[in-house]
Amino acid sequence: MTDTPLILAFDTSAAYCAAALMLGDQLLETRAEDMTRGQAERLMPLMEELLQDHAKTWSDLDAIGVGVGPGNFTGIRIAVSAARGLALGLGAPAYGVSGFDARAEAVRCPGLASVPAPRDQVYLRDAAGETALMPLEQAKATAAQAGLALLPQPTPQDLAAAIGRVALSRWPKIPEAPAPLYLRAADAAPSSDTPPVLLDP
Amino acid sequence: MTQGLTVLGLESSCDDTAAAIVRQTPGVHAEILSSVIFGQTDLHAAFGGVVPELAARAHAEKLDICVKQALDDSGLTFADLDAIAVTAGPGLIGGVMSGVMCAKGISAATGLPLIGVNHLAGHALTPRLTDGVAFPYLMLLVSGGHCQYLLVRGQDDFTRLGGTIDDAPGEAFDKTARLLGLQQPGGPSVEAEALMGDPNAIRFPRPLLDRPDCNMSFSGLKTALLRARDQIVAEKAGLTRQDRANLCAGFQQAVVDVLAEKTRRALRIYMEIGPSDPVVAVAGGVAANQAIRSALLTVCAEAGATFVAPPLKLCTDNAAMIAYAGLERFRTGVQDDLTLTARPRWPLDQHSPSLIGSGRKGAKA
Repeated sequence: MTDTPLILAFDTSAAYCAAALMLGDQLLETRAEDMTRGQAERLMPLMEELLQDHAKTWSDLDAIGVGVGPGNFTGIRIAVSAARGLALGLGAPAYGVSGFDARAEAVRCPGLASVPAPRDQVYLRDAAGETALMPLEQAKATAAQAGLALLPQPTPQDLAAAIGRVALSRWPKIPEAPAPLYLRAADAAPSSDTPPVLLDP
Repeated sequence: MTQGLTVLGLESSCDDTAAAIVRQTPGVHAEILSSVIFGQTDLHAAFGGVVPELAARAHAEKLDICVKQALDDSGLTFADLDAIAVTAGPGLIGGVMSGVMCAKGISAATGLPLIGVNHLAGHALTPRLTDGVAFPYLMLLVSGGHCQYLLVRGQDDFTRLGGTIDDAPGEAFDKTARLLGLQQPGGPSVEAEALMGDPNAIRFPRPLLDRPDCNMSFSGLKTALLRARDQIVAEKAGLTRQDRANLCAGFQQAVVDVLAEKTRRALRIYMEIGPSDPVVAVAGGVAANQAIRSALLTVCAEAGATFVAPPLKLCTDNAAMIAYAGLERFRTGVQDDLTLTARPRWPLDQHSPSLIGSGRKGAKA
């Protein structure tokens, strides 16, 4: 087994497609494109171009790193589904990396990792490792109480590279299949139809 | 292309996660080498219908496992395959997108060609997979989400003769079950109740039978059922078992009568093109209903057409039909690339005016 695995890491948990290609701990390149829609169409071609530009093909890959969220539900499913398909097709491991782990790796200084969410909210991982969705101000207060600050937000490029490094740190262990980290239940209301009383039950 | 083809299919457009492998040698019937279906019935049971976000979550974590099992069951590896077909719409977009992305991942990793398949084409071509039916044939697609008559002239040549302008019958069966406190899915439970009821005890309307075309409407039947139920409840402060059975029987008979008469009309149009060996085929979960089947059988016999009803497991959502439709497409040289789009709406017949959902985003199906 090689000491310098070729790792492709990617993330579509917010309004971008980001990917990084690493050979061992050497970052070959990381690139990102902003987009509010069309990630499902763009992600794979973007990664194929990245591989081609470094004279690599899909079958050269030794491992996959994928951002599993939290974030946009559709976005994290796009990346996770692609990662699981790639892993199955390559017979290579796919490592699911949370947005918290990726941010802690990307920034590498003391502080609490938080992931931006809509309406001035963030997903916060507190000092005890508990995660929750809360208003940004509340997250800042929580951090301050622990004598910490919120980590600054990395660029999508840095995030993809950090996912690659976290994946490398786990390689070549056989991982569990990556799964989306939603942190929020699906919107679903029980049926409002109430059946009538049966007179002869 | 004259050699045998082996195609993997993926399906995730509603509440079934499925993968299957189909092989066909020209001149020989297609063979289903494996067909795996992971259902989600329990997941949605409490909600009285499929919840899109719950369905999408389940698909995303099951598709690859399903594919792995389909390979294992067939004893094949990716190296034995010629292409990967995936449902690219129409359907619940979260699930369709997961399927398309998983298929793209497999296609990129293995180098196998990728083929996006219309879910409805999968259903509409199933009679060729199961019975080797020749073009042109008349197809009645009747399920929880769809109801349409299709004149099928080729693997990519569909003319819609008519369809529902609102709900699909399967949806009306589910609603009936909910209103009467019967189990979901509603099709089998309403059918079982109907066997014990009198279809003439409570009169239901026969929507759109007064119009000469092949279009249908089932939304009003739900309202009719609710009214009839509430009327009985108002009189007796509840329902007897016999009332419930009568409601089911009356409702089902209305659906049967509408489908039978509209099939008669669609058949007349189909017979005008002079098929040498006329065939009417059904697909979709509602095609499992025995009362509907026997009525269609009678209509076909009257017209001198053969009635083809694929086995139930190939009438409801499955991936063998996707693999097969992909195989037929691939034979004609069609193939997609990694930009393949997942589409919530994708009418099979691009020419006929749309019946429902014809808003800004275009026709639904």
